Amino acid sequence: METAAPSLLDLQRALHQSLVVHDDRGISAHVAGGGISAGERLDIYRNTLAGALTTALRLSYPAVHRLVGLEFFKGAAGFFIESFQPKSACLDDYGDEFPAFLSDFEPAASLAYLPDIARLEWAVNRALHAADMEPLDTQRLVALAEAERARVRFAPHPSVSLVRVDYPADLIWRAVLEKDDAALSAIYPSAGPVWLLVERLPTGVEVRRMSESAWRFTSALCDGRPLAAALDEAPDFDAPALLADHLATGRFIDFSLNETTWNLP
Amino acid sequence: MDSHAPPLRKARNPIPAKAGVGLRFRHHQEVLESRPAAAWFEVHIENYMGGGSAPAYLDAIRRDYPVSLHGTGLSLGSAEGLDPGHLARVRKLAERIEPGLVSEHLSWSVVDGIYLADLLPLPMTEEALQVVCRHVDQAQSDLKRRLLIENPSTYLQFRHSTIPEWEFLVQAAKRTGCGILCDVNNIYVSACNHGWDASGYLAALPPEAISEIHLAGHTVRQIDGERTLRIDDHGSRVAPGVWTLYAEALALFGPVPTLIEWDTDVPPMAVLLEEAEHAAALIEEAEIGNSRALAA
Repeated sequence: METAAPSLLDLQRALHQSLVVHDDRGISAHVAGGGISAGERLDIYRNTLAGALTTALRLSYPAVHRLVGLEFFKGAAGFFIESFQPKSACLDDYGDEFPAFLSDFEPAASLAYLPDIARLEWAVNRALHAADMEPLDTQRLVALAEAERARVRFAPHPSVSLVRVDYPADLIWRAVLEKDDAALSAIYPSAGPVWLLVERLPTGVEVRRMSESAWRFTSALCDGRPLAAALDEAPDFDAPALLADHLATGRFIDFSLNETTWNLP
Repeated sequence: MDSHAPPLRKARNPIPAKAGVGLRFRHHQEVLESRPAAAWFEVHIENYMGGGSAPAYLDAIRRDYPVSLHGTGLSLGSAEGLDPGHLARVRKLAERIEPGLVSEHLSWSVVDGIYLADLLPLPMTEEALQVVCRHVDQAQSDLKRRLLIENPSTYLQFRHSTIPEWEFLVQAAKRTGCGILCDVNNIYVSACNHGWDASGYLAALPPEAISEIHLAGHTVRQIDGERTLRIDDHGSRVAPGVWTLYAEALALFGPVPTLIEWDTDVPPMAVLLEEAEHAAALIEEAEIGNSRALAA
């Protein structure tokens, strides 16, 4: 039977369906035979796509991969890929929905801390690949009037993430990647939540624990809350010293001044 | 469509007509420390779009070696048009690295904003040719550089294709002024998969447009019984039949910058250099053949 020639766009949409959800109805009539079926030919492309995206996820989530093993990881990635495909050719940016996907992934439910490990690994991946940016020149802050300083809203360096996890994901992550079974078995998973700062320093990616109040103060600053408002939320520790550390480490790249005057309650 | 020359930037570190090696992350440190005897390096653009250590290594390596940029994500054959964000990232890297050559593929990867991480086959039609030419024009004027386009390995053909792949390349080069990156392994693989004449393919290409050659390994996949498809997986040494076809290409085109690519289970640098030496020896033979022909 003669099939009308499809437009390029229709053909590309049909191939998308075929490769991602294995629906060949729109494409197989347009594929020439030559002794090998359309399905067998399309399988080559399906394998390449699944392989490339699974590898991208494996590179971003190495500890999740080690914890669940290759076969399980491939299976989970297969389901994930059906629902989430990359939106750009930078595969370093692919997979930010994977931690949330793992929280709802029934076969992984017995490893309750797995989504937390994934959350931490995504922050590490972001830190690894974030754009290079010059840190904020602190002389610009020094030049501000006292009243203006309270209105400062910082822009964080793109490598900085603040992650709160229910399990000691940092300890598990490190022990898994270092293949340190002794350290892994010494971890008490239900020790309570931890508050983490992840960033790229000249020496590499750092993951460090913070107190809950230091983390809340830093989160408020990174979310662009005015300095006075962030300080209000940090009554019980030395916020100015931490702010000085943030500035010295280059965790902010810019600032603006909040337009509305901050009214204290 | 008229052939028109976009305003081109002259390469500061041109790629010599010698054998280069595809540079992958596992060799970054080694290249800086031991300065291997590769004539030049080529990297995948999409691996250097972020910050951190990868572009820092590339900045250091380009001080000692000519570097070529090879893209896999521009999707020249997408019906919906180029992603301006991606094109801007390519331009930023090209401005930073000042590459000797910039290349992309005769394929597509993006539809409805989704990146299907593979070099997918185009129907060889006038519509697809016009789309590719429009995007090559756009990329060349945006990058202010001549682009090379590479023939892909394919595992299927579309029934409504009307133009042979080699003719499609010739037309694209003629209409846009772009160069051709002749992947000899891909010609071999596609010719085996579709029953084409690989030598005839080479002979149909205009020698003056050939600015680079790629060589890589491939595998033979058994579908069942006698039916096989050759798969371009860049995971082994260059096959004997591909070396033979490469010698034919050099006889037709003269000495051309030639790259050894290896992406699956990347071996030690020494293995890549052995492959590059083999290519270099064949380039030398072609040079001798050329000068004999000139003297005759």
